[in-house]
Amino acid sequence: MPDDIAEVYRNTYPALVRFLYRKVWDAERAEDLAQEAFARALVHRPENTRGWLFVVAANMARDEARRAAREKRHLTLLKSEPDAVHSSPEEDIDAETRTRRVRAALDELTPRDREALLLWDAGMSYDEIAAQTGLARGAIGTTLARARRRLVEAYDAGQEGGQHVARG
Amino acid sequence: MSHVDEGTLHAYLDGELPSTERAAVEAHLADCAACRGNLTEERSLRERASAVLGSARPTERPAPPLDQLRREPKRSPWRVRRSFAWAASIALALGVGYYMSPNAPVPAADNMSQPFAVAHQRAETNDEERDKSPAPPAAPSPARAPAASRLLYEQRSARPENEVARREAPRADSAAKTSALGRTNAAAPPPRLFDSLSVEARVASGAAAESDRLAPAPAAGAPTMVVDGIVAQKLPATNWPVISRRMAKSILGEEPVGLPGLATRRFRRVPGTEGTIVVEQAIDSSTVIQIFQQPAYPYDSTGSGYANEGRLRVRGNASEQQARERGNRLFARFVKGLRVEIMGPLSPDSLNRLLEQVAPLPLP
Repeated sequence: MPDDIAEVYRNTYPALVRFLYRKVWDAERAEDLAQEAFARALVHRPENTRGWLFVVAANMARDEARRAAREKRHLTLLKSEPDAVHSSPEEDIDAETRTRRVRAALDELTPRDREALLLWDAGMSYDEIAAQTGLARGAIGTTLARARRRLVEAYDAGQEGGQHVARG
Repeated sequence: MSHVDEGTLHAYLDGELPSTERAAVEAHLADCAACRGNLTEERSLRERASAVLGSARPTERPAPPLDQLRREPKRSPWRVRRSFAWAASIALALGVGYYMSPNAPVPAADNMSQPFAVAHQRAETNDEERDKSPAPPAAPSPARAPAASRLLYEQRSARPENEVARREAPRADSAAKTSALGRTNAAAPPPRLFDSLSVEARVASGAAAESDRLAPAPAAGAPTMVVDGIVAQKLPATNWPVISRRMAKSILGEEPVGLPGLATRRFRRVPGTEGTIVVEQAIDSSTVIQIFQQPAYPYDSTGSGYANEGRLRVRGNASEQQARERGNRLFARFVKGLRVEIMGPLSPDSLNRLLEQVAPLPLP
């Protein structure tokens, strides 16, 4: 019997959404994809549900990015109409700015470093990260150290460049 | 042991060092001030990175029930879930509504923001009607409801000018209900879900031309619509404030409703109205339907009673009514304590069938 998916679902869903969010940068879309991944897991019944889910989610996010590129015009239209026009509270604007800055900082990382960092943040162990990224287990610490340093440096650099200084 | 490298320090801080290695690292740290200094530095770096990442996280919403995923609702035809026979009872009621019309014909080729003529109906708690057994799920749309449901619409021209102006003023920033979100993108790849509906969505943009003809010509100026007798400026629905589900619930006084099988994109508050929210759900990546909802009988501060007042405002005549009905793109029904309307770039029939399935959204 493979893992109890209900259990994995309870424990992993928020992390998977978070993981996907930092790839597609759209909360609803991240939820859709996470649910889709679990729906597929229910069909496929993989042995290692958690690892499988993140592999599938990463693939879906990649497909999503390609699709988004094709639909760029459409998305641009949607996003260019700011929700903030009417009564968006201060903190929403702050949150948006912060998110944009984090996104820009993550973009500064190499794909492999970024993947390792996002997987770690999603609660994956070094073993799981190694299995998913193809890195040697012994290299994960170094990879994460580098990823963290670059993230923080890029974030701080972006903050200095930005016109609005928010709490880091 | 030689000094501890940064990767090992991170693995140590992450609790991922094998126990033997861990012991060696700890022994070294006890003796080496330099490495302890590095450890402190790396610890704070690790915490900062985590905080930076943590500041970009989606609003955490609880997962929908797993058994909902089990059914893979997104892939199954939505028809299988039509089980709300009780729903159709809404149709039997006296309606009063508003009518939105684009003020100028929009070229059919511009399918990015095609407005649709809409009308909404408010059922009335008419005991006589309610006591009848609920109509079957395949009941005619509210717009084509039996004669008992006299659908009368008011329009701007039916109102005294000064009253319109009076009502217009405080609503200057009101947004009209528009299906601008229900965009289609001909260049997009074929949608995975709700294929027939989204194909229809593309076709439907052409159908709006019909509603243009049927729509009464607004007086002049900016596009306007009449919502419960209030003339509102038409603004893209995408500008309406996005709210959380919790906020939506507190506005409505109960769980928002929608199509349980569809991905909910967001909740919005309709500006300039009291207690109306919109649930936006995606049929596919480029087709969004909007489900308007508000408490069925919101408290009216004038004391006259919202529903009552609505009935008194009814204007119209039979031929007008028929013309409107053909142009309908928005249908209404009651779901529990809410009056629910649906809009989207789909045919009236599809919208109607979707409306039949509207139910309280499953608790996330």
